[in-house]
Amino acid sequence: MNLQKIIPYRKMSLKELLVPENKFMALVAIVLTALFLIGVGIYLVHGHHAYGVTREHPWGLLIAMYIFFVVSSTGLCIVGSFGDVFGFKDYMTVSKRAIFGSIITILSGFAVIAFEIGHPVRMLIYNVISPGLRSAIWWMGTLYGLYLTFMVIEFVFLMRNDMKKAKIFGLIGLLIGLAAHSNLGGVFGFLNARLVANGVFYPTYFILTAFITGIYLIFLMYGYKYRGQAFPDDVAKALTNFMKIQGLLLAILMFFETWKMLTGVYGGMPERADTIIHILHTKSFWLGEVMCGMVIPFLLILKSKGTAIKAMVWASLIGMIGIFYMRYDLVHDAQLFPMQTLKIREYQLPPSFVEYFPSSTEMMIGFGGIGICLILYFLGTKLFDLDGKPEHH
Amino acid sequence: MARYGMALDYKNCINCKACEVACKEENGVLLGADKHRIWVGVKEIEGEFPLLSIASNTFMPSQCQHCDNAPCEEVCPTHATHYDENGVVRVDPDKCILCSYCMNACPYDARYVDDRTMTVDKCTFCSDTRLARGETTTACQATCPTKVRIFGDLDDPNSEISQVLMTREHFSLKPHLGTKPKLFYLI
Repeated sequence: MNLQKIIPYRKMSLKELLVPENKFMALVAIVLTALFLIGVGIYLVHGHHAYGVTREHPWGLLIAMYIFFVVSSTGLCIVGSFGDVFGFKDYMTVSKRAIFGSIITILSGFAVIAFEIGHPVRMLIYNVISPGLRSAIWWMGTLYGLYLTFMVIEFVFLMRNDMKKAKIFGLIGLLIGLAAHSNLGGVFGFLNARLVANGVFYPTYFILTAFITGIYLIFLMYGYKYRGQAFPDDVAKALTNFMKIQGLLLAILMFFETWKMLTGVYGGMPERADTIIHILHTKSFWLGEVMCGMVIPFLLILKSKGTAIKAMVWASLIGMIGIFYMRYDLVHDAQLFPMQTLKIREYQLPPSFVEYFPSSTEMMIGFGGIGICLILYFLGTKLFDLDGKPEHH
Repeated sequence: MARYGMALDYKNCINCKACEVACKEENGVLLGADKHRIWVGVKEIEGEFPLLSIASNTFMPSQCQHCDNAPCEEVCPTHATHYDENGVVRVDPDKCILCSYCMNACPYDARYVDDRTMTVDKCTFCSDTRLARGETTTACQATCPTKVRIFGDLDDPNSEISQVLMTREHFSLKPHLGTKPKLFYLI
């Protein structure tokens, strides 16, 4: 079987493949991956006891990092689809890189979640032979599995420059990805007992923030590739357009967040208002989510009227820190209010919010996932031609 | 087939925790584990001396509510959580993948991770033990010195629990969530 015929790649020796293009980034990737492996080793010995999660706060940093990665994947899929699925020529140049990015980010997400789910192998078996069709987790997991399959097929056709087939598989992959991602929002939205998470907000917010994350990441990928030099015209044109779209998306996100908080506090409804007020007193919300994730990039876009694409690379780095806080906070916020029924009488005592801080093992596995993503990215950029503008056949 | 439920005459509770001990003994719950399967909530006395509200000091025994419309059953991706033939919410440890979604979805914080099987566990109304042996009471009920608990078939109009629920006022927890709990607190 000739692999070259299935997916065209650059032939090179293993040594050539492993020689780093940038020593600093290679070091970062290797250190993070090493931490991931050490964390996995600790987890395999101690199980969930190595994590900071508790009965009252069963989901922690690893769930947040999984969401971080799959949001990135869905976002890059949306960004990549502009060119190869919807046929907008200005965006065609970023399609290959974005679709490749969507594959490696979801793989990194799966690597992280494999060590959060207590029995991942059992999950693969019983998801098939005993499916819980009313469970958002079942739909999310199953659809993401399908999504990855279609993304890989789309990427293969992109590499072959077979745009017709890439478009078909890309469209199917995009639709499945959107369904999977909104189901991930549904995992939280369906929690009737958790008033801060329950409702329509998260399934829609996830799609919006995925799009925003995808644009941040495309800036980071091209910012890194063309560090210290000017962007080529086609890339600059795509990035300028994306920067303007990002301005609109961030404005919508700020609008959404404002109303989420206002409706949460209004009327002082027990449990919901208490929790929202608690969230509004945290630095991770104001500095992480609002400043890093929204305001700083938004001000840059406004000030430059969407033209400062070099500065936007740095703003995107800050934006991704904000995106991490959004993921971490949404997991934590949903579990803030204790459910400890009758361990205190409801609403008669001020609630003491559930506390959680990730353990070192969780940090090693969670942030180590970024190392896996970076290594896959560097290998991909060497093996595949991610820049050649797809041509219509 | 029965539809098992439990009524709790909670004002009779003296917080002796015999029910927790009996549950651990009968169902092999880890010794020393806190609030596994059942627990007794303590409401502290309100006010400052000498104006203390004695009436505020109550003990509230609780456990899985065995909801007719259980959120934990709904969210389980592998049907590990299911209703058995008697309407009892059970977990099949062979199918549980420990995604912890049920722990997040339960409005009553009634689920925990059993460290031995690394799966989620909860009260089973002694279905694997006493009921399987043909007994008609749960361990917590049988041991209670002040007869707080009444366990029985809600579908049998002649059962003690049905009679008590017909004659005494009662409430259930978080009824607005629509979970239809089968634990009833007698007033």
